[in-house]
Amino acid sequence: AAGPDRPQVVSHVQQALSYTVFDCKWVPRSARLLCLGSAARGTGLVQLYELHGARLELLREIEKPKPIKCGTFGATSLQQRYLATGDFDGNLNIWNLEAPEIPVYSVKGHKEIINSIDGVGGLGIGEGAPEIVTGSRDGTVKVWDPRQNDTPVANMEPVHGESKRDCWTVAFGNAYNQEERVVCAGYDNGDIKLFDLRTMSLRWETNIKNGVCSVEFDRKDINMNKLVATSLEGKFHVFDMRTQHPTKGFASVSEKAQKSTIWQVRHLPQNRDIFMTSGGSGSLHLWKYEYPAQRSKKDSEGSEMGVAGSVSLLQNVTLSTQPISSLDWSPDKKGLCVCGAFDQTVRVLIVTKLNKI
Amino acid sequence: MPVWLREHSWRQTLTAVYLSLPLRGARATPANIFCSEQYLKVSIPPFLFEAILYAPVDDRNSTAKIGNGNIFFTLYKKEPAMWDSLTLADAGKEKLQYLRENAVLKAQEKAKEETEAKKITKQEHKKYALESTMKVEEAERKRIEDLKDKERQKVAKELEFWKNQQKDADKYKSVQKKEELRQEIEPLKERKNEKMNKSRIPNEGTSKIRLKSTKGHGSCSIFSQNLKEERLPAPRAAATIKVNFTPRVFPTALRESRLAEEEEWLHKQAEARRRINSDLSELEDLKEEEKSPDWLKDKGNNMFAMGNYLGAVNAYNLAVRLNSKLPLLYLNRAACHLKLRNLHKAIEDSSKALELLTPPVPDNENARVKAHVRRGTAFCQLELYTEGLQDYEAALKIDPKNKNIEKDAEKIRHLIQETMQSS
Repeated sequence: AAGPDRPQVVSHVQQALSYTVFDCKWVPRSARLLCLGSAARGTGLVQLYELHGARLELLREIEKPKPIKCGTFGATSLQQRYLATGDFDGNLNIWNLEAPEIPVYSVKGHKEIINSIDGVGGLGIGEGAPEIVTGSRDGTVKVWDPRQNDTPVANMEPVHGESKRDCWTVAFGNAYNQEERVVCAGYDNGDIKLFDLRTMSLRWETNIKNGVCSVEFDRKDINMNKLVATSLEGKFHVFDMRTQHPTKGFASVSEKAQKSTIWQVRHLPQNRDIFMTSGGSGSLHLWKYEYPAQRSKKDSEGSEMGVAGSVSLLQNVTLSTQPISSLDWSPDKKGLCVCGAFDQTVRVLIVTKLNKI
Repeated sequence: MPVWLREHSWRQTLTAVYLSLPLRGARATPANIFCSEQYLKVSIPPFLFEAILYAPVDDRNSTAKIGNGNIFFTLYKKEPAMWDSLTLADAGKEKLQYLRENAVLKAQEKAKEETEAKKITKQEHKKYALESTMKVEEAERKRIEDLKDKERQKVAKELEFWKNQQKDADKYKSVQKKEELRQEIEPLKERKNEKMNKSRIPNEGTSKIRLKSTKGHGSCSIFSQNLKEERLPAPRAAATIKVNFTPRVFPTALRESRLAEEEEWLHKQAEARRRINSDLSELEDLKEEEKSPDWLKDKGNNMFAMGNYLGAVNAYNLAVRLNSKLPLLYLNRAACHLKLRNLHKAIEDSSKALELLTPPVPDNENARVKAHVRRGTAFCQLELYTEGLQDYEAALKIDPKNKNIEKDAEKIRHLIQETMQSS
């Protein structure tokens, strides 16, 4: 895109917080956002803000005994809008924010901190049972159904005796009908594993050499199309998930964007080919993926092999000196996003001109 | 002696003097002409023309035109008056000299002034240039800022508009919902009571909590949730998937480094070397060098290699008495005992060696493998196969690539199975 037509990242509101924010999420169907984090005295905080003109108004503050690392609205219905959180102690809780004293669902899912959480099946998106997946430092990835207490419906754990690697990120995908679902998990040694929940097996794995900080499918509720995995040392990989080769797996293109860790990747809910990556140097990069002329080709033995496309940088902006650890697009307004950084601020940004892409 | 040019002709007006000077074939350049206020000189070696002017002229504006074998001077008078003659008539030699020097000085001063003036103007020009570039850049920056501001305002307005839309939509939806619920409440109340009774026994706690927590939304959400539950598939059958991780060649430097333990090991080694038990009576008849445990260890190794196992054991014994903290001594002594079939002693020594080989670091891997293997062999020879197998497996864990250990471990496993079957 030419100069005046490039999307601009406009910083709309900046809010200083008195605690470390680990995750920020928009409350679906509203102009409210949640900040999850850890207060200085070692307790967890959930703050609910509402966007009022050029500032954020604090509506509610909820304190919990353990610091909260991550949260998702992915597995609740639009009426209920329950928040699922994972905390530093390995507990998975689902809260009703109207009455947050007692969780709707609670389980001590892991022995160590839950690093990442994702939900699918709720919010009127996709089909099938609502499920939550959590990935933890104890090396296991567990899938929970809020209707089943205490035991996970799927558990991906290391073989007995194997030394464990921290799981840093999890994501759901391929949930296009009631049976199909996959979970993608990224580990700190660079492993990316794709688990198929219908066959309860490992479908694909690969290693991208650097620890995987964040994985996301471009859409959870379609036949899996693209997967972006970001890692340490500024690299990210985009995998084309439509064609799986028996030995080579999925085709990918990789890009080295920044010198620092890429903490998060988030796809724009309204356009699945645009995604934003946030970096350890406090910068945000907006990317566009372009498909190749042919998405698959036959290799020498006649089996189908995917062809990866290309990624182009639309815009980048540096907002902070500290890493931007969390990022969320608003599902209701195109271009509205919130990001939380380790300099204890949460920023609401607006990305303009996305219609012209 | 210069050749004087005297054939000049001149005429004058009130304000100017026109002097025409023919050059006898000589070529003139501007450098040859020197003019000051009252002195005019043209010097084209060997020709020379000089004139002390009758009255001062304005040498800045006066011009000289060179051409056609002739120099044509146009001298503007400082004071408009008619001159009696071009030059001062009564010019004595000294006066001439004085005037000449004066003229030269004046010219020099003028030159200096001119350079000064030039410098000043140059600086001013530079300043001006800088200022104007700065202004231009400022303007550019401002323009970009304005654009950004406009975008921001536009976007903020859109956001407000959207927010208000949301609010209205929400209000409308809640009104709608209330209508629907009023219609549905009656038949569902009965169903709810049924369900509550059924589910009371197994999970009383959670259902109660659910009711409590949804009070805020009113009774609407329970009903709709119950309805939806029937449309959703049942929770998945629980299953586990086992994963293997790719081994890393370079583990994450600091997170996995056994730094503390490695430091401890190095420390221990250093300590062990320093401690020498030197008050033993037998040492009196040994030479100085023979008292060092290292030397004794080497002696022992040599004797072992030659097959003199008893001698080796003696050497190691003495070394141990001197310094009981060196694990290698025990390790080697264990090997000797194995050869001598002193199996219990072999086990003791290997165990002692293993004790001293803590903390386990990559540095003492080899030693630990050897210790485990020797102890394992001793156990097996004593027919304590399970203990032996344990040691072999420990050795295998430290060094998984060693084929011999693997083979031996397999053999032991077979032996155990056979003894179990036969017993």
